[in-house]
Amino acid sequence: MIYLDNAATSWPKPAGVARSVSAALTRCAGNPGRTSHHLAMDAAALIQECRENLAQLFRITNPLRICFTSNATEALNLAIKGLLSPGDHAICSSMEHNSVWRPLTALVERGVEFSIAEADSSGVVDVAAVERLLRPNTKLIAIIHASNVNGAIQPVAAIGALVRARGIPFLVDASQSAGAIPIDVQAMRIDLLAFPGHKGLLGPQGTGGLYVSEAVNLRPLKEGGTGSESNSAHQPLFYPDRLESGTLNLPGIAGLNESAHYLLRKGVETIALKEAMRTKRLLASLAKIEGVAVYGPPVELPRAPVVSFNLLGMDPVCVAAELEKRADIACRPGWHCAALAHRTQGTQETGTVRFSPGSFTTMTEIDFVLNAVAELAKESQSR
Amino acid sequence: MARQLVVFASLNQVALLKRALYREGVYAEMVRTPRCYLFSGCSFALRCQFDELPMLEEMCRKWTIEPGGIFAELEDVPGESSVEEQAR
Repeated sequence: MIYLDNAATSWPKPAGVARSVSAALTRCAGNPGRTSHHLAMDAAALIQECRENLAQLFRITNPLRICFTSNATEALNLAIKGLLSPGDHAICSSMEHNSVWRPLTALVERGVEFSIAEADSSGVVDVAAVERLLRPNTKLIAIIHASNVNGAIQPVAAIGALVRARGIPFLVDASQSAGAIPIDVQAMRIDLLAFPGHKGLLGPQGTGGLYVSEAVNLRPLKEGGTGSESNSAHQPLFYPDRLESGTLNLPGIAGLNESAHYLLRKGVETIALKEAMRTKRLLASLAKIEGVAVYGPPVELPRAPVVSFNLLGMDPVCVAAELEKRADIACRPGWHCAALAHRTQGTQETGTVRFSPGSFTTMTEIDFVLNAVAELAKESQSR
Repeated sequence: MARQLVVFASLNQVALLKRALYREGVYAEMVRTPRCYLFSGCSFALRCQFDELPMLEEMCRKWTIEPGGIFAELEDVPGESSVEEQAR
């Protein structure tokens, strides 16, 4: 199989990830924070090690401000619902995933308003478009770092500078960028960073997290056992306990820790460069195939390893099914849980076919995929 | 017996301090004693040598950790040490 669905979840994982998950289950699957026997203490040390590795990846100075979640969606909900109150206003972009759009829409019923900064047709949001929407009661700016539809990268450092000057918390959805594009929360002035563990970070599904800067305090989404202040009826005020109730996903975090180690060894910059070469080859060659429409920023601009296209006259679902049937290519057709983004790039009627190469995609595989698309396009045109 | 320090904090905070000390070449032991429950939010404790007090205080400042207490003790009884005086 040629796997080009890394934007949904990365595959394969680095070899050590499965071993670490297994080792956690067999050797240190105690419940951290609840007791002091060695299984629990080993589990606590492993979790702390993972927090520190993630902190190093994102240039976070205090690892205790990283709270584990089950995925980026939970992290985004935690940030949005933990911050906004009735009467508040928020701004997001027209490239957001449903995991930002839907929580914001749900909060409208509770008296929260939000505005959408329109991106251009390639999917890039202008800083001025965000600035124009600011209001005195704006309490959150939520921006996707890299589009899961077409890979467009938003100017997060410039937006961060704009909103930091006004004291507005800045939430970045790093679902497609964490592990694929270097992230520096200090330089980019990010207050809240939501990330999945199972995409670019190459960890197991069921992992993710939220970084919360010391300038921001969130209401928890859930209250419960933290192993701390156990005699109190109230949730602890300190982090990460404030946002981490219930037993953590230790096997998942063990796998994520191993993949974070892998990324630190390889270097996110190196991986980004490799993925950019494959993405550019895909973009440049797809654009030359007759009957293929490619979406997103021009090929010379930086983008995340996500390519969206359509074969004219053929439904994206059929294209993906044919590619799998003929050449065992795994990709994702449709709307990619991002109706806003498809509306922005004008593909809301049918969606698109999405190719998302990953860390282990080879140039030979890319060329094989391009040949398969060219053949399919030729047949489609001759019908 | 050399004087020791006992720092009471949450598990996550204690785990962070222990790993940070280790990187500085200092071995500290994570412990849990009945006394842990006396200090709000502190379910665990870290035991190390008294000499490490300045480094520990600096680390707490760096990561905005507010320990329930940093104590000096004279005895080392597993499970329940006699915490004698506030270190500073």
